[in-house]
Amino acid sequence: MMSARFVSFLSELYGSRSVLQQLIAQQLILRYRRTLLGYLWTLINPLLMITAMALVFSSLFKADLKTFVIFLLTGMIPWNFFSSVVTQCSTAFISNEGLIKKIYLPKVIFPLSVAFVFLIDSLLALAALLILIPLVGGSLSWSLLFLPVSFVLLFLFSMGLGLIMAIVTVYFRDLQYVIMIVTQGLFYLTPILYKSDALTGKVTWLVKLNPVTPFIALFRVPTIDGTVPGITILVWAASIAVATMAAGLFVFLRHEKNIVFRL
Amino acid sequence: MSSIQVKDLSIKFRIYHDRSPSLKQTFANIFNRKKVSSFSEIWAIKNLSFYIKAGDRVGIVGHNGAGKSTLLKALCRVYELSEGNISVAGRITPLLEMGAGFNSEFTGRENIYLNGSILGYGKQQLKKIEPEVIAFAELEEFIDAPVKYYSTGMYMRLAFSLATAMHPDILVLDEIFAGGDAAFMAKAKTRMYDLIDKANIMIMVSHDHLLVKALCNRVLWLDHGQLIADGTPDDVIERYLASRK
Repeated sequence: MMSARFVSFLSELYGSRSVLQQLIAQQLILRYRRTLLGYLWTLINPLLMITAMALVFSSLFKADLKTFVIFLLTGMIPWNFFSSVVTQCSTAFISNEGLIKKIYLPKVIFPLSVAFVFLIDSLLALAALLILIPLVGGSLSWSLLFLPVSFVLLFLFSMGLGLIMAIVTVYFRDLQYVIMIVTQGLFYLTPILYKSDALTGKVTWLVKLNPVTPFIALFRVPTIDGTVPGITILVWAASIAVATMAAGLFVFLRHEKNIVFRL
Repeated sequence: MSSIQVKDLSIKFRIYHDRSPSLKQTFANIFNRKKVSSFSEIWAIKNLSFYIKAGDRVGIVGHNGAGKSTLLKALCRVYELSEGNISVAGRITPLLEMGAGFNSEFTGRENIYLNGSILGYGKQQLKKIEPEVIAFAELEEFIDAPVKYYSTGMYMRLAFSLATAMHPDILVLDEIFAGGDAAFMAKAKTRMYDLIDKANIMIMVSHDHLLVKALCNRVLWLDHGQLIADGTPDDVIERYLASRK
């Protein structure tokens, strides 16, 4: 029953790829229409913010600014993707209510288009990072070729959670605001500003349990340490990613046909 | 050959008395078993069965809230069926609401591609029909301006031209006849009749009984989600009108 549904889900998704493309293009085009710098803002905005954060925290932690910028960027790229996908997916169905009530479309394209838009943003930010590394005196290693794997796992994890949020928010509208607060709190429990092993005290175990933590490592280890992530982290991240995606699909497939009555 | 088979179709709606249930309320209900139901259920469609064969031009009449639009939306898969099933042979194009998915920030041309893909047209198809759509809508000068600067008439013309640009096997219409000035109305009518002519099956909901009589060879009369009568337009509409007096 569930597997038959999954097969028809995939074939429908393939059938509506041109709508998906249009939805992605729509979001990308609209964001910076009539601005002078246009799509460059996607890069300028986070880079400026990260520079400001790096200035503050490198002096606070008494770290070298150049290495801290790279350190921070490698943590912020996966984090921004994760938090944006989860928070923005939560309103994916609500904000497309008009369309969903008028015409049949495979509903997964709404959260999926959101995720793809942020994936494009993240890939651009990654490109900027790869340009920045040699500029501040670092070196690019072969281990960077691991990053596509990191992106795939991060995408599965974020998208799985995004699907759940998208469905549940239709029923509980308060959730869209709760998610924002929770992700903000989660940011500090994720080793982005600090190294996970530098942490001592009561919250250490929380950071270790935090499911986002291994995904940060998947980006940081290949870029900064120049090695492929260890097998433990890889297996841990892959298990979380696959389990979350499976849960997301389960919730989605069970409820996708009912949400039209609740929008 | 197209056909539509509807068997024992029922669709249930929940009407919520207050707002959507809050998180707090749901948690409260977990501990409070003797909860008061905050919604009531109504059957928008109840035990409906009919068969539409190729060549049929079906009009659906009934009071407001009789379930006409719900039925059309169920045929177009917008609503999930609560019971029964619908099997459709042929490609359905719904013209339920024109301009669904138009983005006001987008230009007319961009909206042709956005809305067109939502209606199920491929990119190549859209490229082919684009000049014709623009010409029919008489928007050559404004097609690259955002539609938020369009007048209502311009907007309607574009939506109508695009929605009627392709010939579907099964045409589903919900009370639409394009707005615009008299000249465009006349042109639009011809185009719509042509579309209906070429469709294998046409299903329409309308309160305009003369229109239904003119366009349909069969009429379904719905009341409270149930089929009251199914027959020739003259016969069914006469009985329907008589029941209202």
